[in-house]
Amino acid sequence: MLDVRNLIVKVNGKTILKNINLKIKEGEIHALLGPNASGKSTLAYTIMGLPRYEIISGEIWFRDINITHLPIEERAKLGIALAFQNPPVIKNVKLSLLLKRISRDKAMFDIKGLPLSHDFMEREVNVGFSGGEKKISEIIQILCLKPAFVILDEIDSGLDIINLNRLMKIIQEKLIDNGVSVLAITHRGDILQFLDPDAAHVMLNGEIICSSKDWRKPWETILRCGYEKCGECKERELLTD
Amino acid sequence: MKSVESAKSGNYLQIDHIIKKLLSSEGVILKPSPEAYDEFDEVKKYFDQKPEEGYMIWIKKQIKHPLSTCIAISSPKVHQRLNNLVIVESGIEAELYSICNAVKPILCGIHEGHTKIILKENSSLKLRHFHKWGTSDKVKTTSEVVLEKGATLFSFYKCISPLRKLRVESNALLGPNASANFEVSILAKNEEAELFETMILDGDNSNGVIKLRMISDSNASIVSRSKIVANGAGRGHIDCMGLLLSNNSIISSIPEIFTKNKGAILTHEASIGKISEEEIYYLRSRGLSEDEAINLIITGFLGETLLR
Repeated sequence: MLDVRNLIVKVNGKTILKNINLKIKEGEIHALLGPNASGKSTLAYTIMGLPRYEIISGEIWFRDINITHLPIEERAKLGIALAFQNPPVIKNVKLSLLLKRISRDKAMFDIKGLPLSHDFMEREVNVGFSGGEKKISEIIQILCLKPAFVILDEIDSGLDIINLNRLMKIIQEKLIDNGVSVLAITHRGDILQFLDPDAAHVMLNGEIICSSKDWRKPWETILRCGYEKCGECKERELLTD
Repeated sequence: MKSVESAKSGNYLQIDHIIKKLLSSEGVILKPSPEAYDEFDEVKKYFDQKPEEGYMIWIKKQIKHPLSTCIAISSPKVHQRLNNLVIVESGIEAELYSICNAVKPILCGIHEGHTKIILKENSSLKLRHFHKWGTSDKVKTTSEVVLEKGATLFSFYKCISPLRKLRVESNALLGPNASANFEVSILAKNEEAELFETMILDGDNSNGVIKLRMISDSNASIVSRSKIVANGAGRGHIDCMGLLLSNNSIISSIPEIFTKNKGAILTHEASIGKISEEEIYYLRSRGLSEDEAINLIITGFLGETLLR
């Protein structure tokens, strides 16, 4: 589904991503682990196509289409969606209006069963939203897009355990159970036990230094030694497909 | 023609210089202003001289439905000189929609409208004023509002269709406990626009807010000057925001606050910028095109109330 090949990315003239390779198959869930500022969000924004992220070399393929130079909205229309870590405020535009404008089937998204109040839908997008509200808003928007592949950028940050449980239930029922592929970016790893990913990758200084089909292996090492020791780890492995 | 058509269900319709419809309702006196000038001594004092054209709306009893007026230009080179008067009696709450427009794109019309609004004690008026003109039209609209003790005004003016020249001037005098809110939203393209808003907080505990939203694009120039003067111990705030969509356009915004009362609190904020790329990218990541994203942001920026 997603095939990132030898990707090198600069931001403001500085190389952030160094030769990234990543393959995610249809319906798979992958976790991308790494400390703050390791380049995880840069990879997310580059896959989504934000122009600030300059691809120096390499390619990004999605469902056998080379999307390396496709505009953002074209990628969105192909089925790629990103839950932003820090979404911007859109003043004077109600969340309900935004959902109406972006919904794929042009019908209002069915919010029954979601922990949403009418008041929340009538608020301006991301204006005064708490950390948890921002995450819920991101996920609802993504559900409206009916995506095939979703990047969750630190979706667990700033959430208490109750809201994290709620959100993960929505992600499980509305996305994963419907065969949507997921790349979950996290530095704390709280969501790993919820998602039980098919593979986990560790990113350090803009490089994927470890990939494992058993997410517990790298995660337990990280818990034991911290990210700073990952570079010295003798047990690290790299997936070839 | 749409706004003219929709105004047919309204109270006052004037096309060029001809009144096509005049519909009073219970508790409301609606007259052509020259006629009102001759008929009512009480309203004469509000006009400097006998008006040529325009309307007078005198709301004497509580009304259930909003009132609406429409003044249109449909012939070439028409020069309207309107003098309107709106009086809301004590304790009455009223709503007025006012639409002024040109029905064809190039009529080279001139629309000069002067509206005086008298809000008696504890009365309230919500006024929504929409303009839609052609690219060759010149427009000057002035409102003068007197708010007696405890009166409330919410005034919203919006003009997003490009015209040749636009001047919007609003002045308000606020008595004790009175409250006024001027909101002006304009989108200018190939246009010279001038906005002048002044509020005088004359009575204690009066409250005035001036909110400007200006978008300048394609060789347009917007100059705004907003001023709040506190004679009494009131509160006032000026909020001016501008968006510049092209390098050949201009926005000049001068907020001014002036007090001679130590109990007054006056504040202002002003900013001019461009549309945030981050917002555009965010909306594009939801599948909207760049134009759709910009339109949504602009409509939100100019909106009177939240977009539904």
